[in-house]
Amino acid sequence: MPDPIRVLVVDDEDRFRTTLVKLLGTQGVVAEAAPDGAAALALLSEKPFDVVLLDVKMPGLSGQEVLPRIKAIAPGTEVLVLTGHASVDIAAEMIAGGAADYLLKPCPLDELMGCVRAVYDRRRAVGPK
Amino acid sequence: MKDDTARTDPGTGAGPAVSPAARRERPRPLWPHTVAFPGLAALAVLAAVFLPAPLAVILAFFTGSLCVWSAVDMASRVRASERERSSLDAQLIQSQKLAAIGELSSGIAHEINNPLAVMAQEAEWMTHLMGRPDPTPENLAELRDSLSEIVRQVDRCKTITHNLLNFSRKMEPVPQEERLERIMEDMVLLVEKEAGHKGVTIARDYDTALPPIRTDVPLLRQVILNLLLNAFQAIEGRGAITVSTRKAGEGRVAIVVADTGVGIPPENLPKIFNPFFTTKPPGQGTGLGLSLCHGIVDRLGGAITVESEPGKGSAFTVTLPA
Repeated sequence: MPDPIRVLVVDDEDRFRTTLVKLLGTQGVVAEAAPDGAAALALLSEKPFDVVLLDVKMPGLSGQEVLPRIKAIAPGTEVLVLTGHASVDIAAEMIAGGAADYLLKPCPLDELMGCVRAVYDRRRAVGPK
Repeated sequence: MKDDTARTDPGTGAGPAVSPAARRERPRPLWPHTVAFPGLAALAVLAAVFLPAPLAVILAFFTGSLCVWSAVDMASRVRASERERSSLDAQLIQSQKLAAIGELSSGIAHEINNPLAVMAQEAEWMTHLMGRPDPTPENLAELRDSLSEIVRQVDRCKTITHNLLNFSRKMEPVPQEERLERIMEDMVLLVEKEAGHKGVTIARDYDTALPPIRTDVPLLRQVILNLLLNAFQAIEGRGAITVSTRKAGEGRVAIVVADTGVGIPPENLPKIFNPFFTTKPPGQGTGLGLSLCHGIVDRLGGAITVESEPGKGSAFTVTLPA
């Protein structure tokens, strides 16, 4: 049986974070959550994750500020931006900064899982970094 | 080596050469009106002293005609220039409106998308729970919790859309009685979360003994929101905004929005309520916010003043009839 996908949800919206972790659990994903960028970086330096679902507007470090730090701590971890902020400029900036994709809230679970699996498979195909 | 300098406009030293069409549109010279015709008129006056009367009269008619033509031409130029200026003003206002709509749309999308995302997830979680064969008391409790979360998020969306509707109301003041600190608090709550994200704290100093005032509440909200956003944008990095209400003499009350931001240079203070005056980089400020505030406060029978010290911050005071 393949290893489950390990996902870290980084979002300052409490209810969104906790429900998403439960929903990802129903899909066989091992999910954990962090309320802000600093907590996410602390978790990433403790244990490996395959995919990070990253919000943009957060207290403290913003998504744009956290992204390069995630890439520095865990270069092999894929980052999917999941935000309610509909800005083409920010999307382009984050994709250029190494994010695998930019998803706009509300994003249906099957669509989100499709993206998570796609970036996970791509990561596996490239091999562990 | 190919010389590209011939392709640049000698007038500016940069950019493409001026096309013949652009050359044709160059303004006509002013020297005939400012030097030639007045000079000719002066000569005609001098010549009249020496010339016989019939010749002097003919010369006077001739120079008089030239002066009339000059005045008519100048008047038509001024009219054309005014038309062009008002057309540019209209274009500027339109582009400012579009910029404001773009910024507002992005903000609204973010504020609405977040509660929508929570609702969508709760619905998916409820679908998952209802798919289980035997509903347990725990499942039912979770279903109830998800339902009430959806209701909470609907309320959150309702608050946002109602605030927007108030914001876009027509401009004629419709007085109603309301407590000043409540009007302030409605707007403070709207920006407090965003401010918190940027490390800006908002302190309240309300005089709760003030009786309710009669004013147009949505218009006053618009003023307060503009002042709060201005204060927020004036703070680089961490800082604080203080909002306060107090009595301001007989039959008047005052609201103050003070910040610890960059402050306003003394030379800019007389201009800050002028339409389109902004110190923000191009595209980042419409320069209409404080002008709009000034207009609204005036309609409400009040006055708006500012005190500022560069590097220390600014305080905007709005006094209103009680």
